[in-house]
Amino acid sequence: MYLRLPSKVLERILFFIDSNDDRNSVSLVCKSWFETERLTRKRVFVGNCYAVTPAAVVRRFPKMRSLTLKGKPHFADYNLVPDGWGGYAWPWIEALAAKNPLLEEIRLKRMVVTDECLEMIAASFKNFKSLVLTSCEGFSTDGIAAIASTCRSLRELELRECIVDDLGGDWLSYFPETSTSLVSLDFSCLDSEVKFSDLERLVSRCRNLKSLKLNRAVTLDGLESLLRRAPQLTELGTGSFSDELSPEALSKLSKAISACKQLKSLSGLWDVLPEYLPALYSVCPGLTSLNLSYATVRMTDLVDLLRRCKKLQKLWVMDLIEDKGLQAVATCCKELRELRVFPSEPDLEEPNVALTEQGLVFISEGCQKLESVLYFCVQFTNAALITIARNRPSIKRFRLCVIEPFAPDYKTQEPLDQGFKAIAMGCKDLQRLSVSGLLTDKAFEYIGKHAKNLGMLSIAFAGDSDLMLHHLLSGCKKLRKLEIRDCPFGDTALLENAWKLETMRSLWMSSCFVSFGACKLLSQKMPRLNVEVIDEMYPPETRPESSPVERIYIYRTLAGPRLDMPEFVWTIHKNPEIGVSHLAIK
Amino acid sequence: MKSTLKREEKESCSCSRSTKPSHSEASVNLSLSLTFHSTSPNRERRQDWPPVKARLRDTLKGRRLVHRGDESSLFVKVYMEGAPIGRKLDLCAFSGYESLLENLSHMFDTSIICGNRDRKHHVLTYQDKDGDWMMVGDIPWE
Repeated sequence: MYLRLPSKVLERILFFIDSNDDRNSVSLVCKSWFETERLTRKRVFVGNCYAVTPAAVVRRFPKMRSLTLKGKPHFADYNLVPDGWGGYAWPWIEALAAKNPLLEEIRLKRMVVTDECLEMIAASFKNFKSLVLTSCEGFSTDGIAAIASTCRSLRELELRECIVDDLGGDWLSYFPETSTSLVSLDFSCLDSEVKFSDLERLVSRCRNLKSLKLNRAVTLDGLESLLRRAPQLTELGTGSFSDELSPEALSKLSKAISACKQLKSLSGLWDVLPEYLPALYSVCPGLTSLNLSYATVRMTDLVDLLRRCKKLQKLWVMDLIEDKGLQAVATCCKELRELRVFPSEPDLEEPNVALTEQGLVFISEGCQKLESVLYFCVQFTNAALITIARNRPSIKRFRLCVIEPFAPDYKTQEPLDQGFKAIAMGCKDLQRLSVSGLLTDKAFEYIGKHAKNLGMLSIAFAGDSDLMLHHLLSGCKKLRKLEIRDCPFGDTALLENAWKLETMRSLWMSSCFVSFGACKLLSQKMPRLNVEVIDEMYPPETRPESSPVERIYIYRTLAGPRLDMPEFVWTIHKNPEIGVSHLAIK
Repeated sequence: MKSTLKREEKESCSCSRSTKPSHSEASVNLSLSLTFHSTSPNRERRQDWPPVKARLRDTLKGRRLVHRGDESSLFVKVYMEGAPIGRKLDLCAFSGYESLLENLSHMFDTSIICGNRDRKHHVLTYQDKDGDWMMVGDIPWE
């Protein structure tokens, strides 16, 4: 006799399980667990919008209240994906509107969202609470106005780094006088000035407002007025920080900032003038997150600010901080978990600031809780990488961008193989890695063998041969996303390790030597993958089989061929006469 | 050449090698350029390398074209004897020799003077259009 866990009891247990990884595991136990789980999942995450159809998702999770979707591949952030490739939100919004009217939250990343989508959201979901769009495009401020005016219980409206057709600042005035539910508002990516008095009134009446990220057009005077009305803010993105202020006005601003006793996160600070930085000093001791990526301020001014931020966990800053500044950060910011250092002069060929590998070494020595690094630097050394790995085995995300392609260890002229080997071996929890500089196949042998938890890997201008790709695809047990550009190989490794691609979310390769012939073969071999050839010199059949294609994007999918491919995207389904043994047709 | 890198020669691609002058004789910079790229891989204008998001890139570009009151900027690179890294600055950002020297002293962490050489200080010089090295400060700032 066997005992079966009653589904009511399982439901009760599942109530406490939020992690989708865990829920996915639960779904695999047996059919009845699958059923119970799917009927109780509220927050659904789809990492690739083309991996599954909207209808299938909506059907499987009838109680869904929140949907997160990702569209374009990551390299779209760097202009490597041509416009019009895809990632349309519409089919998803349409399906949800029809079947899931109680939906409360939509979070989209790198997707094309139109005004129609936004209007549909506003019209269809009576309880809609949260819209977070990251790196999205395709809509105008009219669409935002629709959301503002219609969604009565709107709590979050965040436009993070979106490309918006900015028709003016009127959209903000569409929030009705009765709307008081806002908790988070982020319009930092918009250019137009909003009607300030409407913004003031909105902020005044939304007593639960915790996060406010203004756009550049909001002046310092405006900021002062807003802060006086919302001292309860925990996250603030300022507007431009460079207007001319009289000493009285600056003092008033200082006072308003200091009244924000719960402020944890600060960003914006465009063009901040060094003489205004002291206005921020009062909130520094409480800050856990500081984004200075738009603050072109000298090292000494940065250090004067940062040494007061003893609780800082996340710091994004320009390389103007220099090694000396990072040394100071290593001494003062002992809680630091995440550091990002961006290049102030990305197009220069020679080092322009005194930021070298030493800066990151200092941080690795002083910041015991360091987990996440993004570092742009002109050149690096193996010794530094080895030291960093030894100091900080806790690092989970390590992205190093040596700006000069193929740059070797500048002290020894060796490739950076040994350095990245140390990172792969030493940082046992490494989940994400970006490599750069001069690297041979050996580096990838080490990574393939030792980086057991690596989920995402980005490679540019590296390796010698197909061996590099072979090491990665036959190693890296947990690899989900691999993106490669400008590396001199492709066919053999891809075809030999085709099976691996079904265990991953996606593979991107651009400016490599992957031939059209190999793409066809791969498509035939692996019907559950979409093998997209993205080539602006289309169609690819007009060229010889052996000629390399510009880009390939391969992902596993249950949805079959895309129905929205532009002309420059080719999959085998465009030429069925080529002969596909089992076409996955839904 | 210390590093040997194999490149498979494919029909429709061309590989170009260029050596970049550097401190060590043995260093080689290999750049791979594939002919079917529609945009030329001219470093100054690349939109896809280094991997910096568009918004940040645009903001930085805007900055380089910052117009001061007199609607111009004049960027120069200043090197200190013995230091390999030069510092770039905008001459138009300074009101005169004094503020220039003050800033440079700060940047290079040393004391700098215009005028006769003194063992304790660094002296600021510039190269004119004839290639001659001149002492800074002899001609009026404007």
